[in-house]
Amino acid sequence: MHMKKKAHFKADEARTDLGVFKGLEVRIGQIVDDEWDEPMGPTPMPSPTGLRSWDHKLLTKYTPSYMPYCQVCCLCTFGKCDLSGDKRGACGIDMKGQQARIVLAAANIGNAAHLAHARHLVDHLIDEFGPRTDLIQGPGTEIHAPVSRLVTGTRPRTLEDASIILDYCESQLAHTLSATHTGQEGSWLDFESKVLHVGMIDQVSMEIADLVQISTLGFPKADPEAPLVDSGIGMMDLNKAIILTIGHNIVPAASITDYITEKKLGAKVEVGGMCCTAWDITRRDPSAKVIGPISWQLRYIRSGKADVVVVDEQCVRTDVVSEAQKVKAPVISTSDKAVMGLPDRSDDAIDSIVDELVSGKIPGAYISDHHKVGAVATKVALAVMPKRRKMKFFPTKKQIQKMAQECKKCSECIRSCPNDQPVMEAVLAAQTGNFEPLRDVYRNCIGCARCESACPNDYDLHSWMVVAAEADCEAETYKVRTGRGAIQDTEIRSVGQPIVFGEIPGVIAHVGCANYPGGGADIHEMAEEFAKRRYIIVTSGCAAISAGHVKDENGQSIYERRGGEFDAGCVLNVGSCVSNPHIAGAAIKIAAIFAKRNLRANYAEIADYIHNRVGAVGISWGAMSQKAASIAAGFWRLGVPVIVGPHGSKYRRMLLGKAEEERAWTVYDARTGDRVVTAPGPEHLFYAAETVAEANVMTAKLCLRPNDTSRGRSIKLSHYIDIHENSYGFFPEDVWNYIRRESDIPITLKDKILAQMKENKWKERTIPDPTLLKELVMGGGK
Amino acid sequence: MVMRPVPWQTGEICGPDSAKSLNKATQLKRVFTKSKKPLLIVGSDAVGMPHGKGDMIDYAIALSEAGKIPVVATGGAIKAFIEKGFEGAKSKGAMELANYLQDESWPGPHGKGPHDLILVYGIPYYMQWTLLSAVMNFGTHLAKVTLGRYYQPHADWSFPNMKEKQWHKTLDEILEFVGGGK
Ligand code: SF4
Ligand code: SF4
Ligand code: SF4
Repeated sequence: MHMKKKAHFKADEARTDLGVFKGLEVRIGQIVDDEWDEPMGPTPMPSPTGLRSWDHKLLTKYTPSYMPYCQVCCLCTFGKCDLSGDKRGACGIDMKGQQARIVLAAANIGNAAHLAHARHLVDHLIDEFGPRTDLIQGPGTEIHAPVSRLVTGTRPRTLEDASIILDYCESQLAHTLSATHTGQEGSWLDFESKVLHVGMIDQVSMEIADLVQISTLGFPKADPEAPLVDSGIGMMDLNKAIILTIGHNIVPAASITDYITEKKLGAKVEVGGMCCTAWDITRRDPSAKVIGPISWQLRYIRSGKADVVVVDEQCVRTDVVSEAQKVKAPVISTSDKAVMGLPDRSDDAIDSIVDELVSGKIPGAYISDHHKVGAVATKVALAVMPKRRKMKFFPTKKQIQKMAQECKKCSECIRSCPNDQPVMEAVLAAQTGNFEPLRDVYRNCIGCARCESACPNDYDLHSWMVVAAEADCEAETYKVRTGRGAIQDTEIRSVGQPIVFGEIPGVIAHVGCANYPGGGADIHEMAEEFAKRRYIIVTSGCAAISAGHVKDENGQSIYERRGGEFDAGCVLNVGSCVSNPHIAGAAIKIAAIFAKRNLRANYAEIADYIHNRVGAVGISWGAMSQKAASIAAGFWRLGVPVIVGPHGSKYRRMLLGKAEEERAWTVYDARTGDRVVTAPGPEHLFYAAETVAEANVMTAKLCLRPNDTSRGRSIKLSHYIDIHENSYGFFPEDVWNYIRRESDIPITLKDKILAQMKENKWKERTIPDPTLLKELVMGGGK
Repeated sequence: MVMRPVPWQTGEICGPDSAKSLNKATQLKRVFTKSKKPLLIVGSDAVGMPHGKGDMIDYAIALSEAGKIPVVATGGAIKAFIEKGFEGAKSKGAMELANYLQDESWPGPHGKGPHDLILVYGIPYYMQWTLLSAVMNFGTHLAKVTLGRYYQPHADWSFPNMKEKQWHKTLDEILEFVGGGK
């Protein structure tokens, strides 16, 4: 099967001016796959409107609820346009259209970051290993790259194939990005459909990025026993020189760990990462360490413990150079997307770059040649370390106490804090030598330093918090399981049925950034709450780090305590941001393996299957970035609901169902073609929760699916009721609506529920073979 | 401490509209007289937030009883109402409310609507900000009053980042105003 009609010819023998070629095959821009017997589905490599009718089904069920985060538009010189009330901009756009447009802009930016990352990896790895290098996700993953198969109808089997799939993604991103230009798309519905499209493209881009690095860089391959690695600020060994790597792209960081291994310098220098680079270096080299999530950057740089800071791409603090300067740590930038104003030393000799950095002649260097980064970073770290260990960078508590006397009590620090932390009160307490309030602020702090930029006294307030919480930093010593990569087909085979029938009550994924409203421990609390109820918990990215940063009474993290298999009660970390498609992939593989649905280029059918049957919920409690927006959009198009924390309300639109609107919850029964009313399941597609309590209640509820068997439904309902009673203090009022037959009733709660059913004039309902797609009704439907 | 009607979180500036500064209970006279069906929305931050001898949940209960105003609690604040023996409150997510409040025909959490006035406090500042933005732009049938200390630009009336003492006093005046208090 030839995917795209572009240049391709094959000849047993070809004579050219250059000579005779035997077995010649030329392929440009297409993937040749003659061995795949799965028939091609209806939507290979869909265009931005290729799945529009599926999107409309989702968007009528879950209508966008807009909460304008800004009421003006300043995107072109017609503006600024005031869009408040029912006004329109000079281009004709209205407020809803504009909000949807900004959501699309965010999803485009997010996808651009993943896609450019993927492109860099593929090009780099083709250079290193050649285009014909095989792509292997690991044992037991016969269906490798399920998202790419689903979307493009092709299987990426070599790096060259991966490159071709990225060509497709790049073309789609250009289209969806162009739709945000003035005077392009006008309707919110079409903007939103493109949000879903670029979200789907984002899943493909990320899948390719992770697949190529897993295949070539020695990562765990679909391994439930991926190694436990050291994590936390207290785990870093100050007797060694420390190289801090920040970002998402492993290539420069890998050059460092490789150099250290090759030169046998492991006893003298160590590498710690933050954010996804941390996961990916530990996937390659488990002796590297995961220092912490993205919001820990400033506190760690300022502590001065890192001797060299190496940044790659995405979510890096843009003031990293000036911050590192304060502690005399040289910075190496490595990505053409985040040069950080540093001089380009890519073509210079290693030793001359080292000299310049060690002498402090330059604050840092941009080195695009990744082969040099390892040697430069390591040599510089070893050279500056002895001197740097003697320096002190934080003020003492005494000095802070003295400085704090001058506080103007202006409360600017509080007003600028995204988490409304009582910084001023804490400073006033420090005046009297009481540092506990500052320590409390540290625990809820996301490390943005907005408080100190606002302070008229130029206090280094964030540093003060870190000093107050020194003991907490030292106590950050955890073991976290590094990213395992894909879920094996064999694992899916054993849990597919219990998930689809509802007996494993749900799959809950904690993903994304660290913009936590009240500290990272919330992630652990939520994950543990559901793991102990035998849901499957999947983690990735910064959330995966925070989930592991709590110890139980035996000093163990959730990863030590619980297995890493894709099974009930386990907690498995798939890896970095670009590993998220393994989570989507698991849901897709359930449809393919358990239900034997064709997945090749068969997006709408598979999404419909997942939406109605697989009780999966994504949670991004600290969602902050545009990447988090595009990742969420990829799950939405598959019909998987996503919950974010309260800061997520700033994404400015939710996708919400209305439980009482029967029409929205009406499905086809695929067996009969009848229209059947179901209970809302899942009730919402995108939801910001105000508190952990609310998120837990909503998580349990969003796992309900129309296809649940009676046994599955009653299990899911008992968890929902129990969590609801614990969190809200009363028995939920909508349980009756989820009872289709009496056998759905959780047995221990029978009397209460029967009474509720009677009160609400409950009537028995059929359990359909649910689908939103008329074409899936057997025999074409009525 | 600022005492100006500017957004409490300094970055949360909005568009051309901004709430009037609420300094005295009597300013709400017209709003209350005009409203036939108010709704009191109370978020999770109200739990344990001191007011008088109790907290802002007690205040909500007093206000609800005095003015016969139905209460809806968000973010799990419902639990505090129940623990205090107040059975009349309903529970909804802040985002669900932001959605329903855009619908003129929505009968409200108790089925006693459609409402014409919302009184809001206790939702985290920025989330209340977004909720009110939805209402200001798309729920124009509603009057909006915020009762938290900090200025919410998307309301019709909002306290201007008021000094704590004065805020408590004004809250008590509002309570008296609707027929409760001492
Ligand atoms: S893009 Fe449209 S709404 Fe925005 S400034 Fe230009 S004319 Fe105004
Ligand atoms: S650094 Fe921490 S305390 Fe300061 S504004 Fe940011 S979150 Fe608030
Ligand atoms: S901003 Fe600075 S001076 Fe003002 S209250 Fe906060 S710490 Fe004090």
